[in-house]
Formats: sequence, C-alpha cells, structure tokens
Amino acid sequence: MTPPGPDNDPVPTANEDLKACCAAAYSCDVVALLLGDSYHPGGAALTRRLAGHLGLTAGSRVLDVASGRGTTALLLADAHAVWVEGVDYSAANTALARGAAQAAGLADRVAFTTGDAEQLPYPAESFDAVVCECALCTFPDKTRAAAEFARVLRPGGRVGITDVTAAPDRLPPELSTLGARIACIADARPLAEYAEILKGAGLRVVRTERHDQAMTRMIDQIEARLNLLRLTAPDRLAAAGVDLTAAPAVLQAARDAVADGVLGYALLIAERTDRPRSVT
Amino acid sequence: MRMEEPRMTQAPAPQRKVDRDEVFVEFTKSICPLCKTPVDAQVNIRENKVFLRKRCREHGEFEALVYGDAEEYLSSARFNKPGTISLTFQTEVKDGCPSDCGLCPEHKQHACLGIIEVNTGCNLDCPICFADSGHQNDGYSITHEQCARMLDTFVASEGEAEVVMYSGGEPTMHKHILDFIDLAQTRPIKNVILNTNGIRLASDKRFVAELGKRNQVPGKSVNIYLQFDGFQERTHREIRGRDLRTFKQRALDNCAEAGLTVTLAAAVERGLNEHELGAIIEYGIDHPAVRSVAFQPVTHSGRHVAFDPLDRLTNPDVIKLIGEQRPGWFQKGDFFPVPCCFPTCRSITYLLVDGEPGNRTIVPIPRLLHVEDYLDYVTNRVLPDTGIREALEKLWSASAFMGTTTTEEKLRATAKALDCADDCGIDLPQAVKDLNDKAFMIVVQDFQDPYTLNVKQLMKCCVEEITPDGRLIPFCAYNSVGYREEIRTAMSGVPVANVVPNALPLQERLADTPYGSKTAAKEGPR
Repeated sequence: MTPPGPDNDPVPTANEDLKACCAAAYSCDVVALLLGDSYHPGGAALTRRLAGHLGLTAGSRVLDVASGRGTTALLLADAHAVWVEGVDYSAANTALARGAAQAAGLADRVAFTTGDAEQLPYPAESFDAVVCECALCTFPDKTRAAAEFARVLRPGGRVGITDVTAAPDRLPPELSTLGARIACIADARPLAEYAEILKGAGLRVVRTERHDQAMTRMIDQIEARLNLLRLTAPDRLAAAGVDLTAAPAVLQAARDAVADGVLGYALLIAERTDRPRSVT
Repeated sequence: MRMEEPRMTQAPAPQRKVDRDEVFVEFTKSICPLCKTPVDAQVNIRENKVFLRKRCREHGEFEALVYGDAEEYLSSARFNKPGTISLTFQTEVKDGCPSDCGLCPEHKQHACLGIIEVNTGCNLDCPICFADSGHQNDGYSITHEQCARMLDTFVASEGEAEVVMYSGGEPTMHKHILDFIDLAQTRPIKNVILNTNGIRLASDKRFVAELGKRNQVPGKSVNIYLQFDGFQERTHREIRGRDLRTFKQRALDNCAEAGLTVTLAAAVERGLNEHELGAIIEYGIDHPAVRSVAFQPVTHSGRHVAFDPLDRLTNPDVIKLIGEQRPGWFQKGDFFPVPCCFPTCRSITYLLVDGEPGNRTIVPIPRLLHVEDYLDYVTNRVLPDTGIREALEKLWSASAFMGTTTTEEKLRATAKALDCADDCGIDLPQAVKDLNDKAFMIVVQDFQDPYTLNVKQLMKCCVEEITPDGRLIPFCAYNSVGYREEIRTAMSGVPVANVVPNALPLQERLADTPYGSKTAAKEGPR
C-alpha cells in the first residue's frame, strides 16, 4: 500500500487507494484541518438521537465502524453503559482513540482496533448494535460494508447510520473536486440508496430522518476554519492545496446544493431480520 | 345563595370546551411591580414567545414578555451549569426569595461579578438610568472605610475574586476613585472594571493615564465599561439627555493612548436605538481601544421612558436585530447562552476579526466548534477534553471581560479544541495567541425589572451589588425589589420612595419621584 498523503492523486484508480485516501483524509489531511479531530455533522446531539433508536441496554455490545478518535464510542459507553468496540482504518486514529478512552476512564469498556469496514475483524453475531457515523459515504464497496454490518450483528440487533447524502449526478462541478479531497462526498449517495444498500444486506430499515441542517452547519464550520487558517497559517493552507480564492464559490455551491436537496445529511436505523444472509 | 334556573324544561345550549391559547411551562414567584410584595407567578408560551404573568391581591394582574424565542428558552435549560457555593453568606433564610438578600444560603451561585456603587451623584441626568442618579444633593458617596469593607465582604465570599466593577452614579466623579482601585488591587481581586459615561475620560488625560498605570500592575487589570448607545443625535438626547458624541470619541481615543481596554455598553430601547446595534459593533471592531460590546435591553427599574411590557426587547430580539443589521457577519446560532447564571439571562459570542475597516472577515468562535457539546450539563457526562470545557465556562460567564488575563488565557485554551498540530503541523493555540488583539466579544444581557422578575433566575444570579452594610445582593433584586431604595435611604438619611416601572399599563397609577423615576400614586384610580 502506498502511504497516503496530500500529494497523492485525489482520484483513486482502485478501491484500496480510495479507502486509503479517505482514511488518510480524515486522519491527517486538510480535512483534519478543516473539520477538527472529532467532528461529524450533527455533533453529540445527533449521536445521542441515533443511540436512542438502537434499543441499547446496560451491557449491550456495540461496534462503532470508522470510530475515528473515539468520540461516538466514548459517548455511547458513558451515556448507555454499554461495551463498545471501535474499528478504524487509520492506525493513528486508533492510537488517539485509545488515549481518549484512558483519559475518560472508560478503557475497561471501550476498545479500539485498526481494521477494514469491508472485512470486519469480528465473528458473526457478536454485537447487539452497530453504529457508523459519517463514514459509509467514504467506503468504496458499500454493499460489502453493509453485509459486514449485518454479519456481525445478532438477529434483531440494529445498525444506526448518520451520513452525508448526495445525488452524485446532480452535484455541481465545484463540489466534485472539493468533495474528493475534503469529505469524500463525491461518493455519497441519496438517502433512498443507502436504505436500498441496507435492505440488500438483509437489514430492515425502520427509520430514516433528514438532518440537512447539520450539513449546512458543517459548511459554516469549514468556512469558519478556512478563515481562521487564513488568519493564522495561510502558507500551510496553500501547501495543502486549498485554493482560498476559489473557496467562497465552492462553499456557496455547497450551500445551494443543500438548499436544492442535492446534498444533505441523514440518519438511518435498520434491524437485522431473523435470518441472516451469508456473506459471499 | 343563588339558585340555578331549572334547566329541565328546555335543552341547554351545547357548550364546547375550548383550549387555552398558551402553554403553561413554569410556576414560580415574582413581585408586584407596584407594591413589591412577593406573589405567585406563571410562565407561559404564546406564539413562540415567553411571558411571565402574576397577580397581586391588592393591585391586580401584570404580564410581561421575558424571552422572544420560546424554543431557545426551553432548549437552553440544558446549559444550566450547577452553581458553586460561596465561601460565606451574609444573611439567613427567613422570608424566602426575594426577601432575604443577600446572599442567603439558598442562593444557587457564587458572585462572578461584584458591583460597588461609589456614589449616587452624576454629571448627567439621563432620561434612562436604572440607578436614578443625577445632579442630586441628597445622595451619598462611600468612604474609604466603607469601600474597604465592601471589598472585604466580596473577598470573604469569593476567596480570590475575578472582577469588581466600580459604578454609581458616575464613579469617576468620586474624588477617591483611584484610591478605591488601589484598595481592590491590594486585595485578591484580579480585575477592576470602571463603569463610566466617559465625560471625565474625554477631558482629563491625567486621570486616564493614572488608570493606564494601574492597568499595568502585574497580575491585575483595569478596564473601562463605557456607556455607548449609538451614533445618532436623537439616540443621545433621548437616552442621555445630551449629545455626547464628541465626548465618547475623545474618551475612546484617550483610552487607546493609555493602553486601556474598553467595552462599549449600550442600553437598547425599542423605538430608540435598536437600529444602531450593527453600527456599534462595527465601530467597536474598528477602534483600537475597544475589544467588546455589551448590549443591555433597557432595565425598566429606576428612571426610564414609558414602555410596553408586552413588547420589550429581550436577548433573542437583540440577537436577531444584530443578525439583520450585519447579515454577512452573523447568523442564528452564533450567540450561546451563559451557563453560570440562568442561561436565559445572558448570551455571548466571541469573534476572530481580520481585514481592514470596511472589508472585515468575521469568524464567530461558536462556528469553529460545537460549544453545546461542551456546555451541556444535563446529558453530557464524559468529555473528550475537560480543559476545553473549563475554558469555555470561563469565557461564557459573567466574569469574562476582554482585557483580563483570565479571558485571554481561556481564549487561547479554547484554541486547543481546534488543535491539529499532530496532523497538520499548525500549532493553533500558538497561532491564536498571536490573534489576541483580533478577538472581540459581544455580550447580550437582559436584566430583570419589577415586571419581568422571576425568582428562578434570581436565585442563580451571579452579578451582585456589594452594599455598604456588607451584603451581596443580586443585581436584579437590588434594582427591582426595593433594596436600592432601602440602601439609599439608610446611606443618605433622606427617605427614598418605592420606585415603580414607568409601564404604559400603569400610567394612571403613577406619580413622579424627586429623581425623575415613578412611584405608586397615593390613591391611584383602579
């Protein structure tokens, strides 16, 4: 595997490269610069809302796929007294998440592993719930990832997803370039398509909600951070390939896309039906 | 006893139950705005606005708008930080809130900010003055001994106190005001704020230099809270009774020269200067001495122009006006409620400012990080970084003032939340350190008056008047319940009438006081 970095071609030729690109983008690229270390649209409030639909009870076992720096996993472990496994493609994130668990005094109930969402390193039916926040959109093989969610979930268990929604064919051109680099939104799908993907994995979708305002707020945050970095470290921004003169137009295109329903954020809850499908 | 008409003979007209037009959300206590007797009160929501209603056995029913956005009123409940218990209490619980001030052991919060009114006299006779001050010869000025005792009371209660504010009257007219600042600086009190109309600052450069010198004392600061209501002559005449525009300009320039940090404090009244908020912010950002603006909807205590209690300005109204007047800079969500007092009392935002006058880039800090993820005291128990929460708590508090080291330190600590030094090689806290003179604060504070007083908020008030008799009285109780009149009577030996709001619904029941405020007419028509 080639080490990912900002100089790599943002348009990958193979899935492995895309995965590496996205994981890298989230762990060390300009995205970390702009989104912060633990940010996902909707923040803790949306995570709590998601958790409220998962039927968690004290002692439940929860898998957090693409656990990043552990924010969601720690919130779940604390608020719901559950056991949480976090898995992330980036070893750097795994290490940071472990540190955060230690600092929060939750290391006995939360563990973090480096691994691939499309080949989850856990036996079948080992979790009561699976969560995946702002990450499915970055997985190149979403069908396979969803099948993995279903496989590790016990029958009756629930998967909770919050993610970027996009109608890729309707995205304005400004966003397909920014998207590839910043939030991998170029591979985000419409809400209905996520639901189809989950259904195809034998997961019955029991709830979908639109939270497009969370996306607007993320755009605001990106703009605010761009401005902050322009004040503090303009040379570093330039080195990361951020074209400050183009930024206002890109951000406006993103806001318009949210207003037009082309870009957004959504919550999905799906339940594993009794008979799991075998993963091929 | 009255007999009902027999109804057997004809079918009664069908009666339909109807729904009330409001949502009842709180049962609380308030006071009668006329006689100040504590009365039961209820808080209701109509058309997404929050109203407080109460009834006095003697004087009837009263209602006032208390918050212009019901949704935010309810959602801000989660940002209510558990209070901190003061080291000492000055009174006992006897008759219950708000009659035992203070502070009594039932008070829920320590004093973030202590206020000492050094005099009642003033070189202005503003039509709007909650302290009812002016060119009066029957008021009082405190002595050295009284000031020392007041400071000692504050320190006994706080241990190490963050901020004391000298106010009045016009405190710069007190001949010992510099000594009083020294008294504070020789005690464990970190910062002094001087609350002034700026007339002396505009004309007495030596005095300003003396203040500047005291602002250089290591570990201490002296900052200026300058009354500044707008730019139009009408604003000045109707709020201050005089056109003070050149005084304000000169005062600010003198402060800049002396290295003093200034907060522009604007009293905002409906129909007077509510259209000048954006201009005040922009002026403040552009002036080198100014680092913050405080907007205060006019407190309808003391002296003020006639107002409609159902159409007064509240915090969400002011924030909305700010957004409308500078749409490129502000949007909904940029201000965040302050957790140390009751969250509906005060909202604050911090901005990072760049660019030249007329071409500014404004970055509100709440857009850079989810403040609510750190200051949620109901659902959040575990936090990624408690240092950031602590920093945000200090910034979103009544003791936060630009120009104090605590506030500057906490601004830097907040930058840690944005840190990505591990990944991107930028040390943001260091970078933001260099931004310190680019940080700007905006406070919106709606003080309570005899119409709006809700003891639920009062019991957690963290802005206290320090009285010469050694008490700490919540600011809004002091101005609403009758404590101000009691203290002035005791200090001056001249009886002071019970002050009643100059509210439109009360016009026929009011009489003038010698100081320009209103009191209850002796035999007012009912």
